[in-house]
Amino acid sequence: MAKDQRFTILVVDDSPINRQLLETALSKEGYRIVKAPDGPTARKLAEAETPDLILLDIMMPGEDGFEVMKKLKQNPNTSSMPVIFLTGVSEIDSKLTGFDLGAVDYITKPFHPLEVLARVRLHLKLSIATNSLIADQANKLKQISKAQSSLLVTPSQIPEANFGIYYLSLQEAGGDFYDVLSISQDIFGYFVADFSGHDIQTSFLTSSIKALLKQNCTPVYQPMESIKMINDVLTEILPPGKYLTACYARLNRKTKEMTIINAGHPPAVYVPKNGTPRLIMANGDLLGIFKDVVFDKEIISTTKGDRFYLYSDGLVESQEKKILWSDGAPQLLEICDKVRDVPILESSNQIIKLQFGGEPKREDDIVVLGIEV
Amino acid sequence: MFKELAENLGLDEDEFRELAVLIVDTAAGDIERLEEAAQKGDATLASEASHSLKGAAGNLGFMELSDIARQIEEKARKKSIEGISEGIALIKEQVNLISKELNG
Repeated sequence: MAKDQRFTILVVDDSPINRQLLETALSKEGYRIVKAPDGPTARKLAEAETPDLILLDIMMPGEDGFEVMKKLKQNPNTSSMPVIFLTGVSEIDSKLTGFDLGAVDYITKPFHPLEVLARVRLHLKLSIATNSLIADQANKLKQISKAQSSLLVTPSQIPEANFGIYYLSLQEAGGDFYDVLSISQDIFGYFVADFSGHDIQTSFLTSSIKALLKQNCTPVYQPMESIKMINDVLTEILPPGKYLTACYARLNRKTKEMTIINAGHPPAVYVPKNGTPRLIMANGDLLGIFKDVVFDKEIISTTKGDRFYLYSDGLVESQEKKILWSDGAPQLLEICDKVRDVPILESSNQIIKLQFGGEPKREDDIVVLGIEV
Repeated sequence: MFKELAENLGLDEDEFRELAVLIVDTAAGDIERLEEAAQKGDATLASEASHSLKGAAGNLGFMELSDIARQIEEKARKKSIEGISEGIALIKEQVNLISKELNG
């Protein structure tokens, strides 16, 4: 919109009379008019003045209206501006070409200023409605993104859980999710999941998972029972085709016993304080598809200073480079070994740096959850 | 004559007069180009010059002027400039009428 609240209309016509006529007629109705006699000037003004609508003559010497239109559409700064073509009566083909190129309407010449006014008004209304719809949707997504990040617990909220986190959400509503729970004074649950697909639904589901974890990960239930119950509820509430992979780790800091359950998720990394890192190869069904799922579990007697890393496939897979986790995992073990002296709060970030040589390319969601016994 | 044409366009007479001044000015340029086209036998130039005059005159409601320009344009598009001199004379006549009205 124009600086002074008025709508700005860019008039592009090689005829000075048509420019003047349109300016006179439109400015009378309170529109701010910017005029261009040719294509290159029109494109410059479209960027500089960000008009709310463009009236574009087709038959112009040099760059014609179609050419101008193509270039406006290719430029992200001008591509969404509504364009109305001015075309001669006999140029039926050009009307079709105009629509193909993305024009919102056309006006035949000789045009009547009152018709121009009516169409300008109509298309400004349409454009306002569309823009507010888009702004509304973007706003909703932002709220979701906010709600989702408030779902994500930070290390400072539960320092006794002694964990570090790296979390990158690719889109406004992410497909990866993690949570850390205080199950009792000495028992902590660590959960990392990856939903199939990225959409708004996914982020609503993450809040459901958060609630399910809280309900089912209690001292009364064994980790396997907790995950099975969560799965049963998910099979009821997930839409068809939607599922998640997850890794759940439960650590009893008193007995130093760590239980790891894997539901179709990339294997967790175990870094013993005085030993070689290894993958915890537990297999298991995906969550949310059917009941009576089966998971492997591994119970490890740990010692103080041992570390575990739960992560999502975005850390080790690359669709672009065609790397599967099974190929990416050995390198990950090396990296986890290298960061064993980095404090647990920082080590997840450090793993990302070493794995990607800096900031990761935004190809998938990434979560790395480091746990120290 | 201007009052009626202005009303047709939803404009004030003063606003229309400004446009009429502009069309007299630009028509002078178009006439020059048409004369050049006639001299050189350049149908493309004739087509371009008559096209812009046709559109401008038509939009302001100077239909006789627009029609003459249209006839020249149609012929010129078929690579013919036959009768262009007569056409130019008629255009000058129409433009003079507008000038007179402006000064009168």
